[in-house]
Amino acid sequence: MKRITLGALALALPLAASAAPENYTLDPYHTYPHFAVEHFGVSIFWGRFDRSSGKFMIDRAAKKATLELTVNTASVSTGENDKGSRPRSLDEHLRSADFFNVAEFPRMTFKADDVKFNGDNPAEVTGQLTLLGVTRPLTLKVERWVCKDNPFNKKPMCGGNASGSLKRSDFGMKYALQAVSDEVRLTVGFEGYKD
Amino acid sequence: MNEWLQNPVIQSSVLPFVAGLLAAAILFPLRLGGLAAAVGFAATVAVVGNFALEPLTVTRKIVVLGAMAALLGTLADLAFKPTRFTGIAMGALAGGAALWVFASILGQKIPAEVAIVGAGIAAFTWWLVATTVSLHYDMVRAGAAGLALGLGAGFASVLGASALLGQYGMALGAGSGAFLLLVMVLGGRVEAGVTLTLTVSVLAALIATAAVLLAKLHWLTLVALALVPVLVRLPLPRGPAWMQAVVASVYAFVAAGGACALAWLAGRGWTI
Repeated sequence: MKRITLGALALALPLAASAAPENYTLDPYHTYPHFAVEHFGVSIFWGRFDRSSGKFMIDRAAKKATLELTVNTASVSTGENDKGSRPRSLDEHLRSADFFNVAEFPRMTFKADDVKFNGDNPAEVTGQLTLLGVTRPLTLKVERWVCKDNPFNKKPMCGGNASGSLKRSDFGMKYALQAVSDEVRLTVGFEGYKD
Repeated sequence: MNEWLQNPVIQSSVLPFVAGLLAAAILFPLRLGGLAAAVGFAATVAVVGNFALEPLTVTRKIVVLGAMAALLGTLADLAFKPTRFTGIAMGALAGGAALWVFASILGQKIPAEVAIVGAGIAAFTWWLVATTVSLHYDMVRAGAAGLALGLGAGFASVLGASALLGQYGMALGAGSGAFLLLVMVLGGRVEAGVTLTLTVSVLAALIATAAVLLAKLHWLTLVALALVPVLVRLPLPRGPAWMQAVVASVYAFVAAGGACALAWLAGRGWTI
């Protein structure tokens, strides 16, 4: 009887190991939050943040996960950074107090611990977004989730894409609401390596 | 009406001018015509931003200090007789308060930068407040200084990539312009007092400094703005108040225009 129990435990050990919480560190070179806004209700205008960092934990057995993402707001980039004959470029304006106010609020953070699963994969992440000193709930839908080994260095990695939307006025960013939509679509492409 | 108030030009010029003119016209018999600048500024804050205090950002602290300056100025005019030392004392108070306004930004800098930038902020604010408040007895020069300081800080802020601070500055200029218009019409019956001079100097100093620290305004612009209360002291022609107001405004706009020119040149890559 003792042998059977030990044998069963030995068989279950690898399963228990794989069900343990796994911690990942976001790869800053392949993790980019993008935003999209309407300009004059005509076109969709895109921008992104070039520098961000963070980590996430996933426990598939317990259907739990957490995420912490920190975005360097001064890294905002729309590709419009050449001021030409104007006094300032669009990116410089976005960094000013009219929008991201990066001198006063150099970081935007998203902390989530409420994650819904679809099978073994996270499907919806709800957390708190802090922008311009204001914290509001935000839900991101995970549209793509893939875990595999990096084909080159063989390190285990997970990543994908998640998106959601917010009203910038909720965070006190009220400049030019007639010209630039209040609703901001947020899309994050991310990759993380297992610690 | 609502759509009309969404227009940035209306928000930062017509609205504060009309609000300031009404305030000056109603309050000048009480020796409080100088509240025109504060009322004009508040009208723009009401439609552009709001009076919320949470989180207490730099721009919200500026609004708070603007209101406190108007209250303190009113108190000084009604309860005390301002002396030549009033400006120096108010300047010292404002210089210390300016450090509180920008504490969140100074806190992110290394100690050497904190010392240099902090001393610069305090010195600029002290100078602008002390020299402007000392004009409290001269409604023409005080009104012209308020007009030029507001518009100079406002236009320079726009060139420094902050439309919000630009609108706040222009509103201050429009409110001061309303006061000056009443002076041009009614002459010496309208008093500027510490009410006007303290409000415009505190707000202009903080708006321009914020445009340097929160946007891309070149710091030399502040030096040019600091000359506004100096140049308005140049001799004025003998004659009616409207003529003196025009000449004093020309003097003041030499400095304010210089500030805007520096901001524009710096934006085009000019360096010293």
